[in-house]
Amino acid sequence: MRKFYRPWVFIIPGLILGLLTLGIPIYEAIKNSFYNIRLYRLGSEFFIGLENYIRLLNDPIFLIALRVSLIFAIGCTVLVLLFSILVSSVLTSDKIEDSKLTRPLMALFIVPFVTTQVVTGIMGRTFIWQTEFGLVNYLLNLIGIEGQAWLTTPYLALPTAIITNTWRLTPLALLVFYAALTTIPKTLIESAKLDGANEFKILTKIKLPIIRYHVIFISLIIFTSAFREFDVIFSLTGRGPARATNVLSIMVYEQGVNVGNMGYANAIAFTMFLIVTVLTIIYMLIFKIGNIGDQ
Amino acid sequence: MFNQTLKHKLKLAFKYFVLLGWLLFCIAPIIVFFMASISDTSLFQTIPELFSLRGLTLDNYRISINQGNFLFYLRNSLIIAGSALATVLIVCTPMAYGITKLKSPKVKGVLVFGVLSTRFIPYVIIALPLYLLFIRLGFTGSLFGVIMAHLAMQTPFIVWLMIGFFAGVPKEIEEAAIIDGCSSLQVFTKVSLPIVLPGLNAAAILAFIISYNEFLFALFLAGPNNRPLTVGIMRYAGGAEVGAQFGVIAAFGSMIVVPIIIFALIVNRYIVSGMTQGAVKE
Repeated sequence: MRKFYRPWVFIIPGLILGLLTLGIPIYEAIKNSFYNIRLYRLGSEFFIGLENYIRLLNDPIFLIALRVSLIFAIGCTVLVLLFSILVSSVLTSDKIEDSKLTRPLMALFIVPFVTTQVVTGIMGRTFIWQTEFGLVNYLLNLIGIEGQAWLTTPYLALPTAIITNTWRLTPLALLVFYAALTTIPKTLIESAKLDGANEFKILTKIKLPIIRYHVIFISLIIFTSAFREFDVIFSLTGRGPARATNVLSIMVYEQGVNVGNMGYANAIAFTMFLIVTVLTIIYMLIFKIGNIGDQ
Repeated sequence: MFNQTLKHKLKLAFKYFVLLGWLLFCIAPIIVFFMASISDTSLFQTIPELFSLRGLTLDNYRISINQGNFLFYLRNSLIIAGSALATVLIVCTPMAYGITKLKSPKVKGVLVFGVLSTRFIPYVIIALPLYLLFIRLGFTGSLFGVIMAHLAMQTPFIVWLMIGFFAGVPKEIEEAAIIDGCSSLQVFTKVSLPIVLPGLNAAAILAFIISYNEFLFALFLAGPNNRPLTVGIMRYAGGAEVGAQFGVIAAFGSMIVVPIIIFALIVNRYIVSGMTQGAVKE
């Protein structure tokens, strides 16, 4: 009966296409990284071995980009988890869970996720974080706090970008945690209540531990998504004042397209790929995510 | 007694506060953006003035369409999103079905893990080499290149999604079809596919939205004839700091996102099921 389905007939075409669309670029990237390739003088490439990688390790801009990318990714992950756990907990709490509000609210909460990323960045740059007329400074002034130059002050630009990207990514985590929380058996909650636990205790000692694998999984998704982010940062601040938001993906664009040093840009891109892969493996090992895939 | 009800009321108030606060945080930027799009920003731009409904105008939209070339970019966006959607679904759906039908859990695990791990690949390592490759091959800026990149981008997630949906198809129904004499292809097309149709819809909606919103691949790989809205608005608004332009930028941007937002609100049921599928195992 099993042989009947002939699964590989269904799998092979998609698998080949998938491997080609992913494999060809990655192969090309590795190959290119061993050459000196000038975008505006194509045809005069020459082999330079590991020179691009050596240069990258000593390049202060690369180190800045790496640091900014890590801070950005960690910042987004922490904030997204904070907000998504808070909001999903409230949505599934006692009086709220069964009310008619949750469906329409959830629908509206998706809005940041479906908003086009570059529009999010442009919106942020022109109307939200803008120094004179922006929404944030307007609200701050209402409560007596002085408005800041969010996008042009070096130490403020990165937090601003982090908050903007958090705005965009939280719905994903929110949805998953909300769905996971609603599948917790009511009987479990009821018996805890009979034992005298209050709502907060139920949340921290029962609900959250049950969804901890979802939290781990989603945090990995958020982290890797933020680490490779390009659209939002590019449209919000570009590389930012004093390279405050110069993440790796923007450095790749700058080096490859603006400067035209294609070999070097490919080396940076491949290094980025390696870093994400290593971080992901470490993460999976720490949290033993490999076991979840077997379920 | 009094303290109990007060505590309850405060708890409830806190919950409403959180939900309302988050709701405002989510939609306030969009609302401000939209209000600016219908205001004459050469006269004023402050927030209270935007909401005072003075100087309402459709000029910003008119300028976006006439001078901003909006319709040209819109056409390209729809072509890219539509083609990517079709390609992704055709490639990913059978593959996901096949994976769920594998008999060896080890092979299955390897493939699922492979699908999962490709979700983390940075897009620049796809976009940059392809850009150079197409220059060398002599056909830059083609739709083919863009769709190929979108396929690479979407396949991991959509296959993962569809695996979850196919796994929920009751085996008995498929086995009944086999007994009735269907071939494996017929079981797939006549039995399994119709059952996962809601899942297909969810995947289609998400794939369309993701491709419509995509920027990086379009920036690298789309030629002057293929540029979608995302590239269009960046070319138009790139470094604009001029006040009068803000309204036009807002109009351009609103025309990009408002339809998608309204669409997403209407089909939110599918988006929710799509995004939670595979992450919630019940």
